[in-house]
Amino acid sequence: MIDLSLFQQYGPALLRGLGMTIFCWLVGTVFAMALGFVLALVQRSVTAWPVQWLLRGYVEFIRGTPFLVQLFVLYYGGPMLGLRLDALPAGLLGLTIYGSPYFAEIFRAGLNAVPVGQIEAARAMGFPPGAIMRRVMIPVMLVSALPALVNFSIILTKETVILSMITVPEIMFETQTMMAETFAFAEATLVLALFFWVFVEAISRIGRRLERRATHYLLDRS
Amino acid sequence: MFSFETIIDNLPVLIASARYTLLISGLGCLLGLIFGAVVCMGAVSRSRAARRAAAIYVSFFRGVPLLIQLLLAFYLLPLVGVNVPALVAAILTVGLCAAAYISEILRGALNAIPRGQAEAAIAVGLPPRDIWTRILLPQALKISMPSLVNELILLVKASSLVTVVGIVEITRMSQSIASATYRPLEIYLAAAFLYLAINLVIAGVGRTLERRFAP
Amino acid sequence: MALTTTTNAASARLENVSKFYGEFQALRDVSLVIPPGKVTCLIGPSGSGKSTLLRCINFLEEYDRGGIWIDDRLIGYDAVGGRRMAPGRLREMRRDIGMVFQQFNLWPHMTALQNVAEGLERVKRLPRAQAQRIAAEALAKVGLGDKTGNHPSRLSGGQQQRVAIARAIAMQPRIMLFDEPTSALDPELVGEVLAVMKQLAAEGMTMVVVTHEMGFAAHVADRVAFMERGELVAAGTPAEIFGNPADARVRAFLQSYHDRNAFDVQAG
Repeated sequence: MIDLSLFQQYGPALLRGLGMTIFCWLVGTVFAMALGFVLALVQRSVTAWPVQWLLRGYVEFIRGTPFLVQLFVLYYGGPMLGLRLDALPAGLLGLTIYGSPYFAEIFRAGLNAVPVGQIEAARAMGFPPGAIMRRVMIPVMLVSALPALVNFSIILTKETVILSMITVPEIMFETQTMMAETFAFAEATLVLALFFWVFVEAISRIGRRLERRATHYLLDRS
Repeated sequence: MFSFETIIDNLPVLIASARYTLLISGLGCLLGLIFGAVVCMGAVSRSRAARRAAAIYVSFFRGVPLLIQLLLAFYLLPLVGVNVPALVAAILTVGLCAAAYISEILRGALNAIPRGQAEAAIAVGLPPRDIWTRILLPQALKISMPSLVNELILLVKASSLVTVVGIVEITRMSQSIASATYRPLEIYLAAAFLYLAINLVIAGVGRTLERRFAP
Repeated sequence: MALTTTTNAASARLENVSKFYGEFQALRDVSLVIPPGKVTCLIGPSGSGKSTLLRCINFLEEYDRGGIWIDDRLIGYDAVGGRRMAPGRLREMRRDIGMVFQQFNLWPHMTALQNVAEGLERVKRLPRAQAQRIAAEALAKVGLGDKTGNHPSRLSGGQQQRVAIARAIAMQPRIMLFDEPTSALDPELVGEVLAVMKQLAAEGMTMVVVTHEMGFAAHVADRVAFMERGELVAAGTPAEIFGNPADARVRAFLQSYHDRNAFDVQAG
């Protein structure tokens, strides 16, 4: 029933799609983490109510709406605001925005979990604020935040398939192109499902191992 | 110019389509709770085979993107002779997927129940079925209430993906309105705020329930 | 009242009971006779295996060798060294064995009354009204007739433990196991729980009590058994154990107990 010769013919396109999936995931995750960290810092340090209020609204909006609809607003609605983006940049920007409040929350909780005494110790020794952040707060925060960071990064792998809906040529999109040309719907979907299963399971395991190693290292040093 | 008129004109249709969003996420959550309880019982069972099966189930439904699961149900079910309407297939898929997450939520909650709770029930002589339905699950549900509310919110958002199997819920409806009116920004923003409103209501009800059921 | 007297108290007999956790032997060939209608206290240092032994009596803990008989019925296995007992038969035997835990283990989502009535409804299959009447009676008996509607979180530790005792006696057990019933309580709440236990003893309930309350063991117990490192070192009347223990290990344990509590004794 399942005709595997299809995958020979469409192999190169599917591989390109796979590469695009991984590219989108990595870039999206890194950017979302960066934006999330900035949001967490702003939330900690700027107490003016309009900023807090804006931030709160941003977080609620992003977390309360589907990623797919966010992508549609950005990609189809963007041009009306003068934001004319191709599918790929729109997709990457979408992933960045979508992931940022979740990462911000993880960083916020992690920074709050840094024992006050450790910060005071650095302050008492005369560390400048930037050094306290870099040398004390971030390393200590990473210990407690790492499992959540790994976990959400893994969730983002699955969100990348939604980029196919705005025609980013990642693996889901390439598979659908193949399906449209060959009518091999079931085969293609099944293979895609199995691929993601293995992929996500693999990076979960790698993530857990990295997590253990990193926390061991950091715990040994602290 | 930003056209509020377009939004106001199309809002009734958009809101009407929300009933499918609510139906899919609500029934999906309910199914997820039932299947999830079963999977969770497997995961904490004494039987090695049951634990293994539960682990594979959770790994599959959490590892494969829901979008692909939906297409799988849509294309594969007819091939194996199951012909159900797309709506039923969608609700089932969402429910099966939610079960994987909910079983983990319940497992975490079970771990938070002191071991002695079950031991006391064993000592009194309660049969296993009653220990589950009377002692363990009610407490697990109460402990996991915040996570379950959160799961329902996730499902409301995830239900946007059923557009791929052609069910006209909020997202699909907004797509067709957007292409008819050439006003994608307004319509998609309206859809986004509709989702936001639904989720804020769910979150609010959830908080009230938590307070009400707090021991 | 239906719950007042115990007419058919059970006896228990333990023969060469051994229990292993992997390589570690938690119980070493323990043999002990628990006479009907009497109070047997298990004492000894922590980690000596006395709680493990107690939990073997209703098979919450599965012993690996030897046998435990409740009135000549072996619990846990079809025969000594045989296969595990069918779950239904084990449940049926457990109905006769009440248990009270150190941490009370009340079910927090149920009121005191529901905690007590649950077993009557689900195990004894009594109609709800009758189950609740008996439950109310049991709660009145432990002095909590006015707390039936309270959830455990609204009760003091002593009250919670008395509800737990009511939960056990409502099932009309023929033997009761107490696993350090006062160890989790603030000192001022210990007395009310011990009083209820004394009352039960006076009514002729067979009781096995793991305890650190030497006063209770000395004054209420009919027999005292001393355990150390999974072994039953000595057993006898309170006078024999507390008055002039023959075994050096018992003497050392009691000496350290007295040393620790010397201040309390002077202050009190």
